[in-house]
Amino acid sequence: MIPPPRRRVLRAAVRGTLLLIAVCATFAAAGSALRAPQDGGNLPSPSAVVQPHVYVSLDPVPREREFEVAVQAEIARGFHVNSHTPSETYLIPTTLTPNLLAGIQLAGTIYPPGQLEKFPFSPDKPLSVYTGSVTMRLKLSADARAPLGATTIRMTLRYQACNSTTCLPPVNLPVSVRLEVAAVGTDARSTHPEIFRAASSN
Amino acid sequence: MKMRTAAYGIFLALLVVAASFYGWKSRAAFRKWQTAGDASTSSLGNEPDVTFANLQGQSETLASLKGKVVLVNFWATWCDPCKEEIPGLMELQEKYAGRGFTVLGVAMDDDGKSVVQPFVEKTQFDVGGRSMNINYPIVLGDDDVATKFGGLFGFPVSFLISRDGKVEKKYLGELTEDAMEKEIEGLL
Repeated sequence: MIPPPRRRVLRAAVRGTLLLIAVCATFAAAGSALRAPQDGGNLPSPSAVVQPHVYVSLDPVPREREFEVAVQAEIARGFHVNSHTPSETYLIPTTLTPNLLAGIQLAGTIYPPGQLEKFPFSPDKPLSVYTGSVTMRLKLSADARAPLGATTIRMTLRYQACNSTTCLPPVNLPVSVRLEVAAVGTDARSTHPEIFRAASSN
Repeated sequence: MKMRTAAYGIFLALLVVAASFYGWKSRAAFRKWQTAGDASTSSLGNEPDVTFANLQGQSETLASLKGKVVLVNFWATWCDPCKEEIPGLMELQEKYAGRGFTVLGVAMDDDGKSVVQPFVEKTQFDVGGRSMNINYPIVLGDDDVATKFGGLFGFPVSFLISRDGKVEKKYLGELTEDAMEKEIEGLL
């Protein structure tokens, strides 16, 4: 049994601690609001609007096999980028361009369809855009000249983003992925099947 | 003992109120930049010493417009919100050009004159029921120009400059004509 005066001190200490936690939480919330994705004091840096994640469909990639590279682009909330086939010719399309090594061939690039959306600056004319998360795929193959061992495929993701009032300059974002090229006939396992399955159903 | 506990309580409560106010102010400041046509007077001062290339291939300095109230409007042909505000800017030009005001459109397209010139020559805007080409001067901007204006991360962005070359306000997002008229009148 704690004597009454000590109990009062204990109660005050508990109250004080709770208040301190509240103060710290409020300051932390204030700080995180300020740290919202800004640059130059106004808007996010254009290159920070899209976060790319890159996946390869096979590991390793045997020579003479087809494989895919998927770039999943996470677009910041409140922003959109033009789709690969924008509604107007003057709009800058989203493109994924690989810089391929000898021995790696590009069969095609698959882009998801855009969503038609209206914006305050285009109230009557819907625009074909990407928002949220979109996945683009490169259909590739490794031929007999593909260098054996670890290699890197470099790509450029080009996009131009806007929010409902403001547009950011176009960006050429470098993206890369490492993969292992193996001899013809090497066993290979499918990697990230969920990404490639979901992307092919779009 | 009770007095001391109460004093601690009051002190901490004041701290919470102060922190909450700080948080609210910070959020309000953040929201401000996310709103169309928001005006800011921060980081303003004398107009930058900047030279543009015009569509005729000649150099034009911002200083050559001293004596006029100038609305420097950064835009691009790929920027829909920028194009949405052009008819309003044309109306301002019509209304105030005779009183010593001009809009100066600075096109920030990477491809420069090759895309800006055809756009300016061919595109007609509806201004009060009349179909018109842009009626104010258009020049070309680049990263160097953007840096001199403090770095530009979004378009449209406009700077209102007084007759004596002071940058009075910066507006991020689409401008509203009514608000602009008030500001321009105040400087003429």
